[in-house]
Amino acid sequence: MNPIRLIFIITMALTFTTHAADSAPSADELAARLSALQQNGASYVRLKMEIKGAAKETLQLQIKQRRTKGATEVVYQVLFPKERKGESVLLRKIGNRAATGSTFTPPNTVRTIENLKEPLLGSDLSFEDVVENFFAWERQGIAGAEDVDGVRCQILESKPGKSDRSSYGSVRTWIDPRRVVPLRVEKYSASGQVLRRIDTTRVVADAGHPIPANLVVHGLRPDSSTELDGSRVRHDVTYTDHDFTVEALKDLAGPRGSPE
Amino acid sequence: MTFFTVITRGLTRRPVRTGLTIVGIAIGIAAVVALVGISRGFETSWATGMKTRGTDLVVSNMGSALTPKPYPATVVDRITPLPHVAETCALLADLMSVETTDMMIVSGRQWGGFTWKNLHIIAGRMPHDAAERAVVLGQTAAEVLKKKVGDTLQLETEELPVVGIVDGGAIVENGSVILSLPLLQELTGNEGKINVIDLRVTPGTTKEELRQLCDQISALVPEARAVIAGEHVRDSQAYKIIRAMSWGTSLLAVLVGVLGVMNTMLMTVFERTQEICVLLAIGWKRSRIVRMILLESAMLGLIGGIGGVLIGIVGVKILVQTPAIRGLLEPDLNPQLLLSAVGIAVVVGVFSGLYPAWRSSRLTPSHALHG
Repeated sequence: MNPIRLIFIITMALTFTTHAADSAPSADELAARLSALQQNGASYVRLKMEIKGAAKETLQLQIKQRRTKGATEVVYQVLFPKERKGESVLLRKIGNRAATGSTFTPPNTVRTIENLKEPLLGSDLSFEDVVENFFAWERQGIAGAEDVDGVRCQILESKPGKSDRSSYGSVRTWIDPRRVVPLRVEKYSASGQVLRRIDTTRVVADAGHPIPANLVVHGLRPDSSTELDGSRVRHDVTYTDHDFTVEALKDLAGPRGSPE
Repeated sequence: MTFFTVITRGLTRRPVRTGLTIVGIAIGIAAVVALVGISRGFETSWATGMKTRGTDLVVSNMGSALTPKPYPATVVDRITPLPHVAETCALLADLMSVETTDMMIVSGRQWGGFTWKNLHIIAGRMPHDAAERAVVLGQTAAEVLKKKVGDTLQLETEELPVVGIVDGGAIVENGSVILSLPLLQELTGNEGKINVIDLRVTPGTTKEELRQLCDQISALVPEARAVIAGEHVRDSQAYKIIRAMSWGTSLLAVLVGVLGVMNTMLMTVFERTQEICVLLAIGWKRSRIVRMILLESAMLGLIGGIGGVLIGIVGVKILVQTPAIRGLLEPDLNPQLLLSAVGIAVVVGVFSGLYPAWRSSRLTPSHALHG
């Protein structure tokens, strides 16, 4: 081969590789972007939850949430089936402090959540899973790249720092870097055992940004999985502080007069 | 022995291989029938629903979602005074997961509007007025939800009594949960919003006047677009994507069929080299050999096509009974689609046979001597 042509090809290849490496976000950048997407203010979500275990159960839920950089407050409420209607969970995490929460079971039973590893409304998710933002943990790193359903994903590994409180030893997230959407999440114990796996099965555009709409969760329980099917999300809804109190768990009314 | 007998003998020489090739084509054609039939059914189901309601024009904002975006209900007041507008009915329609179902049409309708009038009570009654917190169910919706009059239905945060079961005359209507507009607006937090206006024009309005009215409304109401009933679904981005995907997937399946037939026919030509050479030696023209190969592959396509149409029809009938689709659409398996599918299969057969036929036409009687 002509040596000038060879030098040209090598130079072009090196230039391209360098640019490609430059354009890939770092672990901290990726985590910061995903964390910012999670801390998207006040929103209202309606979803169907199918718990597939020894017995199959379908729940219709509403989620009221207020997620900011400093605090996360979420309320999960069961709307269906009739016999479970009104069951509610309040979870709150302020800064780096441990999350706290309460559950409400109609007509009048209020219980303080002692163990955040308990299942959320009987599903394969734990209380901790819905309130924890591991993208905000101190230690973030890229653990490689892998295809998930034909999409090349970057694997982000998040580990809690000294100030972070979590029962997990680490969390790996397979992220589609083009859409900035997690397509798979695996949560590990300190010894490296997979405790929970969450797969994204449908991504939809929400206000111009892709978000996971359907998730399948596998926990430690054998032959059990939970499917989450998001049907509606409303952003920038108005909540008061009262909406995130134990007293408010008794009220199933959704936010009023807010944009779709 | 006739020319046709030679062709059929050629196909039955290797029955397993011929059978598998036919199955390959049949699966491809079944995919065409099923996917295109369902995507067309989506359009025709809505068009029939509109026709049954007596709607001439639809004012909505069909973006990339399956349901139109909400806009202020005050838009109705701007449209009503326009010439040729006889009646309007404001709606808020959504696809929702209701109780254990994946997706169901929930339709909040302006009380007293003409879209209530095509609903015929099968059991129970209509709501007394717009303020009554109750629903009526289309008969398919009632079956899917396993509800009867007197039961309750959990819709968003409220448990509403089912006061009636209705026949709306179209699958879209029969698969719907129907309630008064203000009630659905309240339940979904869409107070003062609608996303569809059904419009009836005065009798005698020509098609040209209808198009002019569409333009007038679209200019007057930037939040939405007026389209002749039935066309609004066809024009939606979501439907265009569904249609493109169904044809794309079908063509892939057909391509697999092409390769299968081509492989079979090539093998046939290779295996029957001596026979073809003998036919040439006894006076068959090359064009006749080419016709024989093309007819064999066309025959494969025809049988595969007929089989594919039958599999497609059965598959679609089963598919529409699945909980995810039931009550949402009726497949459009019109004769034109079915004949087109068989036609595609025959064309696929002929096309796949072109290269093997060309190979066979290159043979000479002397090839027989080489074994």
